[in-house]
Amino acid sequence: MTTLAADQPATARVASSAPRAINVLRLHLTNKWTTLGTPLLILTFIFAVNYVIWLLIYTSTPEAARTAAGGNQYVEGTQYSGSTFYIFIYMLVIAIQVVLRTFPFALGFSITRRDFYLGTALLFGVLAAIYSVILTIMSYIEEATTGWGLGGHMFSTVWFGTGSLGQRLSSEFFAFLFFFFVGAAISTVYLRWRATGMIVLWGSIVLIGVAAAALITFANGWPAVGTWFLNAGVYGVVLWSLVITVISAFFGFRILRRATPVN
Amino acid sequence: MSVVEIANLTKRYGSVLAVNDVTLSLEQDIIHGLLGRNGAGKTTLMQLLTGQDFASSGSISVFGAPPVENARVLQNICFIKESQKYPEDFRAKHVFTNAPLFFENWDSAFAEQLVAEFRLPLNRRIKKLSRGQLSSLGVIVGLASRAPLTFFDEPYLGLDAVARQLFYDRLLEDFAEHPRTVILSTHLIDEVQNLLQHVIVIDEGRILVDSDAEELRGSATTVAGTARAVDAFTLGRTVLSRQGLGALAQATLSRLSDEDRAAAAAAGLDITPVSLQQLVVSLSETAQAASAHSGTSAQLGTSTTSTQREK
Repeated sequence: MTTLAADQPATARVASSAPRAINVLRLHLTNKWTTLGTPLLILTFIFAVNYVIWLLIYTSTPEAARTAAGGNQYVEGTQYSGSTFYIFIYMLVIAIQVVLRTFPFALGFSITRRDFYLGTALLFGVLAAIYSVILTIMSYIEEATTGWGLGGHMFSTVWFGTGSLGQRLSSEFFAFLFFFFVGAAISTVYLRWRATGMIVLWGSIVLIGVAAAALITFANGWPAVGTWFLNAGVYGVVLWSLVITVISAFFGFRILRRATPVN
Repeated sequence: MSVVEIANLTKRYGSVLAVNDVTLSLEQDIIHGLLGRNGAGKTTLMQLLTGQDFASSGSISVFGAPPVENARVLQNICFIKESQKYPEDFRAKHVFTNAPLFFENWDSAFAEQLVAEFRLPLNRRIKKLSRGQLSSLGVIVGLASRAPLTFFDEPYLGLDAVARQLFYDRLLEDFAEHPRTVILSTHLIDEVQNLLQHVIVIDEGRILVDSDAEELRGSATTVAGTARAVDAFTLGRTVLSRQGLGALAQATLSRLSDEDRAAAAAAGLDITPVSLQQLVVSLSETAQAASAHSGTSAQLGTSTTSTQREK
């Protein structure tokens, strides 16, 4: 964030506007159901559904198979569970909505674009921290209870929630930041250039994607791409996503500085 | 002392000139009326003054500095637009819990009193509020924020007569106790004419009138009587508008001197002051006609107006 702040020439304003950014954070957290209550409720629901499924698998597996050497083979597939992915997508939607709907309101409350963006970035940081702590705690409980007593996996999967404490926390934290800042950047493009901006943005993304795929295919590079992902591992990919996160955060800020409210 | 200084301000949206070379200054602690037709450029001008939109050219100074991205200037401003957007999940009460964070003069007790008086349902989602309730919400924020520079953009769209009267009363009372600069944008001119101390009329992005309200009210007069007497009297004078019905006619003229008045009375004509609304209507029509047939100005404008009226 320091690079973003350095964008402003007047240093005096940085100090005076700090509390205003905190106020923007409080504005965002006015209705905690949207940012915390509802997602956690859905998470609980998904967990309950998963638990019932594990229970079904558990009870329908013969006693002998469950206790055999190398046990828990019967629930091996749950390690690939993507049950917690929804929460990342939900946060992407939150980021899109917060910028799209709260920005025009914030301007009406005489908040500068800069303070709005800083307060919103604070919100993203706070939410990412809360959710990665929750997911990490759940992953440890899951391990300690050997999959809630049923060998199930939802929070300690091949994607997240394994490895050291630092790795668990940081991989989830960075993944949340990725979805937050990418969502926010998409909204700023809309705020600044409306429908035209959306068409150009998605058009470019499709073009770049197709061009990249074509290049890789012609160069026979798919095996190399696969190897890269295998070598990087999940944590490596998450770390690489930081590049996109930082680019989104930077351009989101620059674009928002010239955005106008939707009429 | 002036709070707002605008010089040669222009805002262009594609080929449309929403604000066209406007130069204006607004005095401190005065209630200004920003009047004009739909699409005249009222909201654009206010968005430019509050840093919500960016000028194409020209300069704006509010409290001595450009307002865009200027926290020091903006924290003294309250501008709840007629088309104000609220966060998706907001209820009216959420607006009031957040207002004190951003308006340092916010008066919670006053806000509570206004909520009761306007009968605003605090627990209803803003999406579900009626047009009038939405306007009440904006009016309450505008009044209770007590910002040194407060904008009311079409504040009583959808408000019933009782609520409108309530707004005028509370605005005047609170203004007397806590003087501040108010800009009231509206096209319901008759209702607010006694409230306004200064009048700005904007049409197609240009300032038509920028005048003290008292002075403006005296600046035009209507003479009525027989068509023959009216025509004889108006010959050689600037006629803002003329209406006729058979042998009777009435004409609106620019400022009359005492001798003019005496002459009109002697000719058997009735003299009445023109309401602000009539004045704004005739000025806008004259300006429109003038821009339509530029070159052949006032005379043509007059005849177009009168034929329109007689229909």
